[in-house]
Amino acid sequence: MGPNRNISILLTVPALLVVALLFIYPLGFSLVGAFQDKAGVWTLGNFGRAWELYRLDTAFTVVIVLVSCVLIALMSIAIGGYLTLGESPLAKSILGFLYRWPLFIPFIVAAQCMRTFIARNGMMNMTLVYFGILDLDQVQGFLDWRGIVFTFVWKQTPFVALMVAGAMAGLDRATIEAARNLGASRLRILVEIVVPQVSRTLAVGLVLSFVTMMSVLSVPLMLSGQSPSMLTVNMAWRINSVGDYGTANALGFVSYLMTGFAAWFYLRHGMREKAGQ
Amino acid sequence: MKRRTMLGAVAVGAMFAFAPGAHAQQVNLNVMTAGDQNMVDYITEYLGPMFEKANPGVKVRAVGTGPGDAGSQRIWERLEAQRKAGSASVDVDVAVVHQKMAGMMVKEGLLAKYRGEVSTGKMATNDVTKNALGINVDGYVIPMFNSQIAIAYNPDKVKTPPSSYDDLVAFAHANPKRFGHNGIRGGMSGVGFVFGWLYAYAPQPAKLIDGPYDDATVAALTPALQKMKAFNNDVTITPGNAGTLDALNRGEIDMGPVWMDMFYSWQADGKLSPNLKLTLLKTGLPGQPMYYVVPEKAANAAVARKFVELATSPQVQAKGIVERFNWLPGIDASYVQQYLDKKIWDKLFKDVPPDMLKAMGKPMPQSDYFTKIQEQYEKIVLN
Repeated sequence: MGPNRNISILLTVPALLVVALLFIYPLGFSLVGAFQDKAGVWTLGNFGRAWELYRLDTAFTVVIVLVSCVLIALMSIAIGGYLTLGESPLAKSILGFLYRWPLFIPFIVAAQCMRTFIARNGMMNMTLVYFGILDLDQVQGFLDWRGIVFTFVWKQTPFVALMVAGAMAGLDRATIEAARNLGASRLRILVEIVVPQVSRTLAVGLVLSFVTMMSVLSVPLMLSGQSPSMLTVNMAWRINSVGDYGTANALGFVSYLMTGFAAWFYLRHGMREKAGQ
Repeated sequence: MKRRTMLGAVAVGAMFAFAPGAHAQQVNLNVMTAGDQNMVDYITEYLGPMFEKANPGVKVRAVGTGPGDAGSQRIWERLEAQRKAGSASVDVDVAVVHQKMAGMMVKEGLLAKYRGEVSTGKMATNDVTKNALGINVDGYVIPMFNSQIAIAYNPDKVKTPPSSYDDLVAFAHANPKRFGHNGIRGGMSGVGFVFGWLYAYAPQPAKLIDGPYDDATVAALTPALQKMKAFNNDVTITPGNAGTLDALNRGEIDMGPVWMDMFYSWQADGKLSPNLKLTLLKTGLPGQPMYYVVPEKAANAAVARKFVELATSPQVQAKGIVERFNWLPGIDASYVQQYLDKKIWDKLFKDVPPDMLKAMGKPMPQSDYFTKIQEQYEKIVLN
């Protein structure tokens, strides 16, 4: 046991070194940087500036990401639910084939497509006008925070839906069939029987999406030039245009707090699962 | 066996090919450029081959460091790191940088005072040859090109083009959301538009350009920025420089600030309606050059000067800078005119003639104001 144990510890060393060098070190470096001014003196000034200039954007970052999470949850339950409970094999196979596509499209490409798709005179509105559903005077553009939410939901729903649909497929069909025999509607079965059983998987998917969305720069940068925007845009701005790493680090610290909360939730869930086993 | 013998022969051949002395005369000229990929392409595809042909034994290697001031900052970081390491020479022979970093590099003694040693140096007469955002750079830089922000408009919708910021305010009020700009976080055409706003409405606009810096002047900008906040309620905020041009082309807005060179390039590529026109405003809109600089400790300084001499020669400025990129020449336009077709010259100055450009094209603000104005905009207009 002894030598084997030593060898297994030795085998983890390269991975640990990579994590330490490429993640822990920069993380620590930027955390320290958040509390220092340009001369290296300890200060809370960076947080003062972050609060003064970016408190609105901080609040909106939370709102944008949370609204996206709620919509992603609803969409993935709908997709997973239809794949599990749907009755038309053709519709199920088409949906099963289509819904994964956005997974393979990078955020930056999605953002570029959305720029022309959801603009005021973009493809979406012009198609609706062409079919007489909207009047040209009624159309409005979504190149603002709504466009960011739209893109996030489009891009992240397949990821969560994939997890949720997998979990739903693994459920004991007996409970579903029992409910069906007792006359429950498909919606009721989904809400009262299926979703509660996959809620943990759904939560994990949403936590991972939350963290991913918090870190995306391309989508808010390309879709919305105005305030409110997201913290990633502000961080890039502080570094690229002002050369101010201190405030950027302070904003990064705020982001860490938010994602740290999500990570805590994720870990707590993992521990519970292990304890359950 | 046969395969192994062949591999061996290739390996020996390769050793000889890369052995020192095989190309004893070879000079690698490292050109580092900030800006978009087109800057790297310009050097790799156009300027580099031309220089290599005229100077056998020289290989031009172009490296791009990314767009905006951040790209220039990376060049500064590289030079600074090599100075801190105590290197006798640096591995950047020619750099192309923006104004802010050029000023800083001159102040820190990182650049060579080379303009006097280059024959084309005296052809660069523009103010920006001597002054980069309030810092004296006389002798250290030669502009590669000048770029100007102008107001693009759709003449079908805007019958009388605006001549002042007051006209723009009136237009936006009468036609809500039909004027668009990209604010300060989405590219320099929006930033320049904000600076132009302050040249029109600040109590001491000249001080913003010439300095000296003081906090009171920044504080005095508050009413002008509050006016901008109200103005923004009537306009569309577009996502970036390209976003404004896209919105104009799709007919979502009728007017907006754009870079002149981008405007003409998009028109030439068929990405923008040929009907759209440009104009300047009487209190001025800013423009900015990018500079050729030679680091103080460039390993190949003499070759570097020759390279800049070619790059700033009237022929190259005409064919490369004006024809290829629709930029305004870095050296005085009068030297360049004779090498250009009348058609191209007329196109470049069709909407904004040289006298208008001279009267209404302004420099960017002095570097401290440059940064502070952006921060005040965030504080007052965005919050």
